[in-house]
Amino acid sequence: MTRILVPLAILEGESISPGLTTLLGPVDVTVLGYHVLPEQTPPDQARVQYEERATDALEDLVATLRVGGGRADHRLVFTHDREQTIDRIADETAADAYAIPGASGQVDRLLVALTGDVAVDRIRSFVGELIGNHGIGVTLFLATDDEVGGRALLEAAASGLSARGIDVTTELVVDAPPFEALLEAAATHDAIVVGERAPSLRSFLFGEETERLAVESVAPVLVVRNIDETSTADDS
Amino acid sequence: MGGEPPPAEGTNIEGESPQAEPTVETDEATITDDAELERTLGLSGGLAIGIGTMIGAGIFVFPGLAAGRAGPAAAGSFAIGAAVALLVALPTSELATAMPKSGGGYYFISRGLGTLAGTVVGLSLWFGLVFATAFYLVGFGYYAVDTLTELGVTIGAGFVIPIALLFGAGFTVLNVTGTENAAKLQNGIVALLLSILVAFLAYGGLDSVGLVGEPGASEQFAPFGGMPVLTTAALVFTSYLGFAQVATVAGEMKDPERNLPLAMVGSVLIVGVLYVVTIFVATSAFGSEALADFGETAMVEVGRHYLGAVGAFAIVFGGLLATMSSANASVLSTSRAIYAVSRDALLPRRASRINLRYGTPHVALGLAGGPILVLTATGRVELLAEVASFLHLIMYGLICVALLTLRRNEPEWYDPEFRVPGYPVVPALGAVCSFALIGFMQPASQVVGIAIMITTAGWYAYYARDVSLKGAR
Repeated sequence: MTRILVPLAILEGESISPGLTTLLGPVDVTVLGYHVLPEQTPPDQARVQYEERATDALEDLVATLRVGGGRADHRLVFTHDREQTIDRIADETAADAYAIPGASGQVDRLLVALTGDVAVDRIRSFVGELIGNHGIGVTLFLATDDEVGGRALLEAAASGLSARGIDVTTELVVDAPPFEALLEAAATHDAIVVGERAPSLRSFLFGEETERLAVESVAPVLVVRNIDETSTADDS
Repeated sequence: MGGEPPPAEGTNIEGESPQAEPTVETDEATITDDAELERTLGLSGGLAIGIGTMIGAGIFVFPGLAAGRAGPAAAGSFAIGAAVALLVALPTSELATAMPKSGGGYYFISRGLGTLAGTVVGLSLWFGLVFATAFYLVGFGYYAVDTLTELGVTIGAGFVIPIALLFGAGFTVLNVTGTENAAKLQNGIVALLLSILVAFLAYGGLDSVGLVGEPGASEQFAPFGGMPVLTTAALVFTSYLGFAQVATVAGEMKDPERNLPLAMVGSVLIVGVLYVVTIFVATSAFGSEALADFGETAMVEVGRHYLGAVGAFAIVFGGLLATMSSANASVLSTSRAIYAVSRDALLPRRASRINLRYGTPHVALGLAGGPILVLTATGRVELLAEVASFLHLIMYGLICVALLTLRRNEPEWYDPEFRVPGYPVVPALGAVCSFALIGFMQPASQVVGIAIMITTAGWYAYYARDVSLKGAR
């Protein structure tokens, strides 16, 4: 079964928009409520004071998710390091993707970027599971320098999805800055699916590309995890 | 991973009970009923806490004072301090792997020896850290004045205390408003300090054994006999107070059964070697009498002796960073010590409230910062250092006793991953040495230390007599 992790800064009032709630209906959802503390505060000290408040908020959210018939649960973590917490919980729950909530009303059309390191097959089957038979349209997006190869990739992915009765269109961008082109395409869609990328110098300097995408498009972004790479835990 | 100590019981005078919840400790998180606490500190973070807290005081403030008391044998005093610290670090490591929880020494003693010992140690640790921080701040003041002098602005020793007070207040405010990336900064400072010192010591060491430069001053190794070596060891033990701070963040350390012992023992070894070599180099450069005349910032003159103005500046800069990092780390530890006792209802719960706006424990930080400023104003370097050592040594001795007690009865929940080599000799020696070192302090320090302990015992009798932390076995 497909599982999506939704990390939320629960005590700062982050929540799941109605559009995203509906979109996540067919899949399993784990809501990860987290609270980041400055280094001088022991996490347990914050737990003593805020646990109840955070748990209440999380239970409300999970109840909302279950109204539409979805299966949902929640975890609550007090941490100094948000990234580490999200990675750990994603590994433990074997989540296929995680969501950056964003804001959205009814989701009618999904932008699916095939640019990235994650196997196209993974993204495609994830999108298939997510949409189920909700009648949501999909735009497959690819930015590449190789026009012929890109066209072939898009066609193959599109035929796989339309075989499941999904309304698919494709968008190929050649010789343009991929990120900017993706942002432009995002403007006409309600939510975005991308593959997780390996950390690069660029993402180190400007923040994760996915985070920037979420900030600049305002829409919910679902990041399909690159399971093979992230399961090798690193530690210093 | 160890089990769970029995739950604490009873209520204090305000009707608050210890907040103990069943938890499961894994390598990456502590899991309670409804929430998880992420473990975010790695081995390097743990070492940085240990080394960062220890390195400032000993290396930069003591050489002059110690050499004046014990001659070149001051190096021996530092070695004795390192040996005692190591004897305590090993039992502390065992306890920390059995109970990888925030609170450190206080937690182990209260669970091993009961509430009275716990209260005395917990509150004494608060005061011990306050004294230590005041000592670091005064050292910082001396270095700040010297830095200005090196830069050509001579303002005189009269400004040492005002500068120390200013920065003490600054650290407190900084910690209340949140120090983003403080740990990374601390790691950077520690790395920089270590490189300055190693480069300096490598050159100075070669020089002092006569390989490069002029032959240095030669003198009798222990001109005043053996006794001053021991009393000096008691004085300089303040230099080794950092390793136990690693145990106070045990609840936040990844893979604690491996990283806690490595960080504690490792930081004592690294710092101990650095101290001994430094004193050796310093006394070779000048002879202990001249060194004593230079006072708290004698190391600057040693730097000048070997590497000219550049050396002096490097040491002055290093001294500033080091005393600053020690002071800041101790302010943080103090607020954690207060949290640990207030969680167990030995202090009013409101002492550990967290500020909504910054997410920081502002009450506890205030309870640290206020007394620190008062003590800093006294400017009594030796007294501050010795009282800090006194209160910590009591805790270290009791940690060893707690280990012996726990091992003797070995309750079901006690299952440490790391076990002390040489049990029971090592913890027994650790306890004896810790208590013995106290005997070599100045009477004034002993009186202040004992007064503080009596006060904390009185607080227990008044406030928390009904609290039981040891629990039934």
